[in-house]
Amino acid sequence: MVALARKTLIYEWRKFLPAALAVAFSGLLLLMMTALMFGIFSSAGVYVSRSGGDIWAGYPGTQTVELGRPIPRDTEVWLHMDPAVVQVEPFQWLDGDWRGPVERGSVSVFISGIDPNPNGLMFSHVLSAVDRARLLEPGAVIVDAADLSKLGLGLGIGGSASLNGHRVKIVAAANGLRTLGGVNIVTSIATARTLVGDPAERDKVAYYVARLAPGADPDAVRDRLASVAAAHRFAVWTHDEFAYNAATYWMFETGAGLGFIFLSFVVFLVGVVITSQTLFAAVASSVREYAMLNALGAGIGALRRMILEQAFWVGTIGVIVGSVVSVSLALLAHGQDVPISFNYIATVACGVLVMAIALISGFLAVGAINHLEPATLLR
Amino acid sequence: MTALVADNITKSYTSGRVETNVLQGMSIDLNERELTLVLGPSGSGKSTLLAILSGLLKPDSGHVSALGEDLWKKTRGDLEKFRLEHTGFVFQGFNLFPALTALEQVMLPLDYLGLPKHTVRNMALASLEEVGLASRAHLRPIELSGGEKQRIAIARALAKKPQFLFADEPTSALDSVNGKNVIDALHRVARVYGATVVCVSHDTRLAADADRIIHMADGRILSDVKQISASSPSKPSPTEAKS
Repeated sequence: MVALARKTLIYEWRKFLPAALAVAFSGLLLLMMTALMFGIFSSAGVYVSRSGGDIWAGYPGTQTVELGRPIPRDTEVWLHMDPAVVQVEPFQWLDGDWRGPVERGSVSVFISGIDPNPNGLMFSHVLSAVDRARLLEPGAVIVDAADLSKLGLGLGIGGSASLNGHRVKIVAAANGLRTLGGVNIVTSIATARTLVGDPAERDKVAYYVARLAPGADPDAVRDRLASVAAAHRFAVWTHDEFAYNAATYWMFETGAGLGFIFLSFVVFLVGVVITSQTLFAAVASSVREYAMLNALGAGIGALRRMILEQAFWVGTIGVIVGSVVSVSLALLAHGQDVPISFNYIATVACGVLVMAIALISGFLAVGAINHLEPATLLR
Repeated sequence: MTALVADNITKSYTSGRVETNVLQGMSIDLNERELTLVLGPSGSGKSTLLAILSGLLKPDSGHVSALGEDLWKKTRGDLEKFRLEHTGFVFQGFNLFPALTALEQVMLPLDYLGLPKHTVRNMALASLEEVGLASRAHLRPIELSGGEKQRIAIARALAKKPQFLFADEPTSALDSVNGKNVIDALHRVARVYGATVVCVSHDTRLAADADRIIHMADGRILSDVKQISASSPSKPSPTEAKS
């Protein structure tokens, strides 16, 4: 079989280039939107993703760290009783009210009380052993460098402020503590306890984080702990599960996810309209040749298949061009600290959508030969 | 022997409120092994007649019977199949695919017959040989002259050895030497393969080579003359073929 579709595509590439570029840039837009979305919302899971530990225990039904409630103290014991658990540490999470030295009102903050030991699990990917040691000083706090300006102009390391009515001092600034929705103030669990308003709740924390022995299966441990957790008013999640819950909670409970899906639909629609128009024009310019083939007995179905094949190749080229541009832009964005994050499934979904753009456009471009009348070749 | 019969066919076009009767109850019998030339001025209905005879255009009334089958009782798919198996076309515009070489242009319609690849290739090469262009088989339309392009179109039409060959103004874009080559090729198809060849033209130079000449005006046949001694076609040599 003479490969008319492919040969025409190669020989008359200028005709098909606009369609391939339309596909490529629709794909780029879809992929970058997805990456930005995941990038921004993965900061909702900062508490989990920037920390070590394999298992989280918290109040049953907790969707994201910010919604934590105090859980019974014996949770720590139950966790220790599992043979795979080798380390358990408390993590206190509470709301705070920050008043800086310069009078600019109060700032709503989140307080993270962590274990300051060098082998502590919380924020182990962000805080060095030296930083953690600094938290041993009562009233010492660490914030993200990018949040310093929010907490009071001119307030730098060594500056002090009032947090929940107690004096605290910024001992270090770190990178990677920013969370979605508020300033994250990291302090030691001992300091955090002094900041809890209700004295009755001071001894309780919202979470316990556990590390498992190397090679242990977190899913199996979670399943083993599930029944004892249910009986003692706490719940357990694996590290990945809890991070995923946080990201999806923010994505779908805040309406941002719906907005993102809507915007993806718009990009898809724009992609189909532009691609189909350019493909249609490319097909229409060869309509006399198609009419000739039809006169010679090539069925209209065979001609339609050929146009769809062209659309498939246009889509394939579009995906390749789009991928190359995406990778280049992703590298550029990474160098500029733009919050983008690529998710395997989302990337594949973008690829599928892009091919759908090309094929739907192909179906629409088939319209160019729907009313093919070979008799018009006779003058 | 009669191969194609048109019986009392009419066709009219409506443009706005004006209705034009292009063919007014025309009947005609066409024989195999004959090159029939239909001559007439623009608007005489000769191209419409060709479209109806070849199964490209449905008449308003009347019947067209080819190889004993009523063409316009067939579905679109069956009609396409009939054209695929029995019919070749040569049009005024060459309608060659810019991306394909001369050989591929000729192979393309053969592919749809579902023949093995090497058979398709051999048939296409033989057909190019027939029109004297075997040496140009690897060239694309942009590298060929007008005369060569038209002969590629003829090779494409006759590669499958059709029973019917329809040509619409095949020489209008060509000089007299190339025009002669083309009409010789059409004549040969009738003589050598026994095909029914219908050629529509207003080029009276072709009259000398036709077996039968039909003059048309205003949708009617004015005269229908059989010529007993049409000049014998000669096979063009490759050097003569180049223009």
